[in-house]
Amino acid sequence: MATGPGPRLASAFRRVAGGFAVPLGSVVFAFAVGGLIVAITGGNPFAAYQGLMCGGLGIGCANGENSALQISTTIVFFTPLLMTGVAVALPFRAGLFNIGAEGQLLAGSVACTVIGIKFSGLPAPILLPMVLLGGTLAGAIWAGVPGVLKATIGAHEVVTTIMLNYVAQWLVRYLIVGGPLQASNGFSASSPIGAGARLPLFLPNDPGLIIFGLPAGVYRVHTGLLIGLAALVIFAILLWRTSLGYEIRAVGQSQRAARYGGINVARTIIVTMLIAGAFSGLAGAIQIAGVDHNLTDKYFNDTTGFDAIAVALLGLGSAVGILFASILFGALHAGGSVMQADAGISSSLVQILQALILFSIAANFLRVLRLPAFGRRPSAPAPTAPAAALMTEAAKAPTGETT
Amino acid sequence: MGHSRLKFLGVAGVALMLLAACGSSSGGGTTKTFKIGLVTDIGGLNDKSFNHLADVGLEKAKTDFKIQGDVVESKSGDDYVPNLTNFASKNYDLVIGVGFLMQTAVGTVSGQFPNVHFAIIDGAGTDANFNDLKHTNVQSLFFKEQDAGAMVGALAGLLEKQGKSKKPAHVISAVGGISIPPVNHYIAGYKWAAQMEDPGIKVLVGYSNNFTDPAKCKNVAVNQISSKSDILFQVAGGCGIGVLQAAGQAGVYSIGVDADQKDSDSSVIASALKKVDVATYTAIKNVVNGQFQGGALTFSIANDGAGYAIDNFSVPADIQTTLDDLKAKIKAGTLTPPADIPA
Repeated sequence: MATGPGPRLASAFRRVAGGFAVPLGSVVFAFAVGGLIVAITGGNPFAAYQGLMCGGLGIGCANGENSALQISTTIVFFTPLLMTGVAVALPFRAGLFNIGAEGQLLAGSVACTVIGIKFSGLPAPILLPMVLLGGTLAGAIWAGVPGVLKATIGAHEVVTTIMLNYVAQWLVRYLIVGGPLQASNGFSASSPIGAGARLPLFLPNDPGLIIFGLPAGVYRVHTGLLIGLAALVIFAILLWRTSLGYEIRAVGQSQRAARYGGINVARTIIVTMLIAGAFSGLAGAIQIAGVDHNLTDKYFNDTTGFDAIAVALLGLGSAVGILFASILFGALHAGGSVMQADAGISSSLVQILQALILFSIAANFLRVLRLPAFGRRPSAPAPTAPAAALMTEAAKAPTGETT
Repeated sequence: MGHSRLKFLGVAGVALMLLAACGSSSGGGTTKTFKIGLVTDIGGLNDKSFNHLADVGLEKAKTDFKIQGDVVESKSGDDYVPNLTNFASKNYDLVIGVGFLMQTAVGTVSGQFPNVHFAIIDGAGTDANFNDLKHTNVQSLFFKEQDAGAMVGALAGLLEKQGKSKKPAHVISAVGGISIPPVNHYIAGYKWAAQMEDPGIKVLVGYSNNFTDPAKCKNVAVNQISSKSDILFQVAGGCGIGVLQAAGQAGVYSIGVDADQKDSDSSVIASALKKVDVATYTAIKNVVNGQFQGGALTFSIANDGAGYAIDNFSVPADIQTTLDDLKAKIKAGTLTPPADIPA
């Protein structure tokens, strides 16, 4: 393309703005409907959203909440979503729907716990990489099985990954309820992992150290955040700057065309799933190593891997999008409690908002996939009226990132 | 400009604080509004069981004392620490955690806020190994579940002995969720009292390894019914609803747990009660009266913190007399139901 830097930048901006229109619209739609639901049921939507803002982002707290505490809670909640979001988004690019991020995360948690307990005496420089790598590997294997099945006998990955979620959930249940990992005290939880297996916190858990008016230990932000952010960078580079990323996108466009172009489709599918599972497994290991330190019955009902599907969709499968979507979901999760305590609105409203976001993004998603800027297919079918403006806008944009 | 305004705010703030301090000292301490925070476990407020009952206790305390009571429902296990921390960081006078699932979270947060009082239903403030940290600002609200279990066990035993159950064969049963102390206490009292009233009775005990999925408990219950059990005691929370339903479908009797479960199924003849509302109310009352004490506070038949309710059933007069007699003896301490399941 013979364009100068000026118009290129402008068009890139247009493309980004166009890309954000749909998810932003979904969020606005969800909050509008959510507010309506609160108002109809006799609540005050402004008080509800003030509580949500305070609890999620530490903004506009009116009842003595500590802003720093709220923000740190949100960070703890969104950290695993960064990685599980990638675990869903990467297979999307290859045309695969990974519903199994939850199972892969649990596999990672189990591996991290087992290694962290068995080798609890080892020092951190050895043990910490061991538990994180172990979790990553376990997640990769958990996703690799559906990948191999898909590539060899064509078993649909949606079905196999969902089924493996159940296998993982029940495995966790078996392990800590009467199984080999259950601690001897009769509760459904494992023993804690060794001190060397724990991710360091940004602030030491020292009761004497007061930061922002509270003991430092209440801010639970751990170094897993850095790993999560690094995962996003790796995802973006992998997808757009490597030949594997090119192959993944090509397979996602058209398997037949990719095969014709000399790409080993079966291998690409397997590798994509392995990498996706690795990210999810890492998230599981980080939850154990950074937050919980043992496998507990809370993991029976964990939904991080399912929220990740919404995060990946809302983030349109891009690294930046996943970051923002994760922050939004983490903030909603953290904000619900403050909303209930301050405004008396049940924190179930958060689940309603999440469902509404997912609903409206899903209604739009298939259309978005056909956008040339996203799917890179110039000959899109005739668009319908509302999407038309967006699509023609995006179609004008020259493709700057690839060849 | 900005500075002077800040300064004014500061002065006003100090003045307000002084006023507040004067108010509380001259008013004899009665003007203080105590702030109580209640954190439910993942069961939520509508669990028809102990989260609900804890809220009932809080509401009763609201009408009796000058308190501000706020409730937060935990949506996942991730929420326990942040929810407890939120109340504690706002200097609430008492933060109540409902259920043993919150033990580690209460242990962690109570260590960070030594000046805030905590109470926890069915547990203590523990470390990750579930060892009690014995923080002096944590009050454990425990129950003698065996007291409540004994009352319904005696009822079941008497019905079997007199042949007044649906298919009398001197076999009754209990379905536990997970084999943990609170569950086994119930079953211990149940078996002990049933054997006392009907020495030849056989008491089947099974576990579903689950507290939430009714289908799991239903499986265990169906097996027990096929082994001739015709009175089934559920000790498995939400999972146990499956026991009550299985009994209803097979036309035999069932017994509910924790809260009064007469509305759950028509087969429910009685419920073993753990009066979490009484415990919550008592904990709040102690804080308001300045009588908070760390350590365990146990609720039993003796202090009306445990008991039973007769549900969709009319008890023959002679059985009622025996039950009243047993309750009086447990209350007086002449009979003590065991905490461990007898052989």
